[in-house]
Amino acid sequence: MKEGLRQSMALLHTWAGLLLGWLLFAMFATGTAAYFQDEITRWMQPEVTGKADPVASAEGAVRYLQRTAPDAASWFITPPNSRSATTQVYWQPGENAKPAKRRETSAVLDQSGHEISTRETRGGFFLYRFHFDLHYMPVYWARYLVGVAAMFMLVAILSGIITHKKIFADFFMLRFNKGQRSWLDAHNVTAVIALPFHLMITFTGLVTLATMYMPWGIAANYADRSAFSNAVFGNSEDVARSGKAAPLCAVGPIMRSASAQWGGKAVGYLRVTNPGDATARIGATRAPEAAIGSRGEEVTFDGVTGKPLDQSMPKGAALATESVMIGLHAGRFAEYGLRWLYFLSGVGGTIMVGSGLVLWTVKRRSKLPDPSRPHFGFRLVEKLNIATIAGFPAAIATYFLANRLLPAWLADRADQEVNSLFLAWLGVLIWAIIRPAARAWPEMMGLAAGLFAAVPLVNAITTSRGLPASLLAGDWLFVSFDAAMLVLAAGFALGARRAARKRVEGPRPAPRKTQEVMAA
Amino acid sequence: MARSGVETSAKSRPSDKTGGSGRWNVASRILAAVPANYLVTSLLTACVARLLAQCLAVNPAEASVAATLLSFAVFATIVLFAFGLRSIFQLWLWLFVAGALGGGLFWLSPGMGARL
Repeated sequence: MKEGLRQSMALLHTWAGLLLGWLLFAMFATGTAAYFQDEITRWMQPEVTGKADPVASAEGAVRYLQRTAPDAASWFITPPNSRSATTQVYWQPGENAKPAKRRETSAVLDQSGHEISTRETRGGFFLYRFHFDLHYMPVYWARYLVGVAAMFMLVAILSGIITHKKIFADFFMLRFNKGQRSWLDAHNVTAVIALPFHLMITFTGLVTLATMYMPWGIAANYADRSAFSNAVFGNSEDVARSGKAAPLCAVGPIMRSASAQWGGKAVGYLRVTNPGDATARIGATRAPEAAIGSRGEEVTFDGVTGKPLDQSMPKGAALATESVMIGLHAGRFAEYGLRWLYFLSGVGGTIMVGSGLVLWTVKRRSKLPDPSRPHFGFRLVEKLNIATIAGFPAAIATYFLANRLLPAWLADRADQEVNSLFLAWLGVLIWAIIRPAARAWPEMMGLAAGLFAAVPLVNAITTSRGLPASLLAGDWLFVSFDAAMLVLAAGFALGARRAARKRVEGPRPAPRKTQEVMAA
Repeated sequence: MARSGVETSAKSRPSDKTGGSGRWNVASRILAAVPANYLVTSLLTACVARLLAQCLAVNPAEASVAATLLSFAVFATIVLFAFGLRSIFQLWLWLFVAGALGGGLFWLSPGMGARL
């Protein structure tokens, strides 16, 4: 009975892991990068230097918006946090305005409220959004797809734990150069070392979009979604403009007053509705980096008198749990030490997914009726593995290279950076399809290594903030970024060498005893 | 791809006679694990959210969120049972009982102007 259960769980683990494994790999890779999204953005905007004060920046942003969009329905201001130096603003045009593209209703500002003059880029923010919004497809469908993938991941983790007999003995087991056994070890070690992280990150990932995937808990108690969000976050229904002009009060005192209510923690986000009107309201939300709970508290102020009006409801056990779960997932609260741990766990998760995908082919290759002519399903998995495990990292390196190489005057430059990522990915996919797998593996791993190695080089040539200069200047952000690229390059070069050597030797049949272990 | 999964399952579990032939066995389990599971989990989630709010006087927002958070653990557990339970008959029986319980209690509970 017990062996039967283990076998059925092994089967479930195999297929739940495989079917959306390639999407999970891309989600893990971009999610991991997103822990450093502010740093990536700063690297991708090398013209921006120094720090900015959040309160002065918010006041500067208000001056910019009063000049640029005085009739807007609402303004959204994200002042810089401790890791960034710019202010993001976005506005919703007023009722009579023509519909505009997002790019025309948003801006990146410096502390004094002027648009910064830097190359146009979506920076690390793109990698963060790709993690759950994907690209070239409606966000709505992307989020369902990502949610389904996350549930597959959760099932794969749970069934993997049940399958895995000697979870603690194998913890210390990493055998190199043993073919299939080494792939299994790599899969087990990266899975088991960071197992609490994998479980936490997968479950909390589902929670970030929980009410989209499972809306029935709210539907059981509320007539509609807005009734629920009004109850939780305070009444935020839009009020019509009165038409009576009234000057907006200063935002500095409002930020200080909100901050005082939260024991000195900073404001992370401001929302101004009906600016310049007697009905103006200013909502201040607590900075996400100020606490683990990500659903930051909000205080609403009268936008003319500056008096506090309303605040979000104090959270009970369930809402606090949800808030902390989402906060744990996004890790915005993490200082640099913990942030690196998040990042390394994420790298472990990416390797876990990748090695699991490879293991699927390695396990089946020796059992193929004719290993020189595998069936369609096998070839499909093998080619998608190459396109994903070598191709997606190569595409991310291309994104960074495009940031340095595309000319500043290029139309829609930020979009072209993103397009170059997907073009590179497509290129690797086509290469994987037309080349035999045994050749495509080392070639594409080598390509990824070369592209990552080129990033610091091109950075040194095209900017004044290359590795030697940033080392001398003590610019640790740029040093770390370039160093991370070199480590990735070394990792892929090692992978390329192993794959090339394996091609020469040919696939080694696993010893009989190992095969029995693998079957369990 | 699905075929090799079916073959492995049939090979490795020769004693499994209750589920019928391998292909239908797996199809039935997938049906139980995904659509039927989503229906049952939704009913249980709505039921827990409603009962917490109406019978235990938990704040309705808290009740809704608590039930929603639990729902993912419930869904994943049912997937494991859908492939782990030896008897397919038992699997569907349990799903039916859980769904009927959740749906029945939900239907009996007072709605107070909610969408469902």
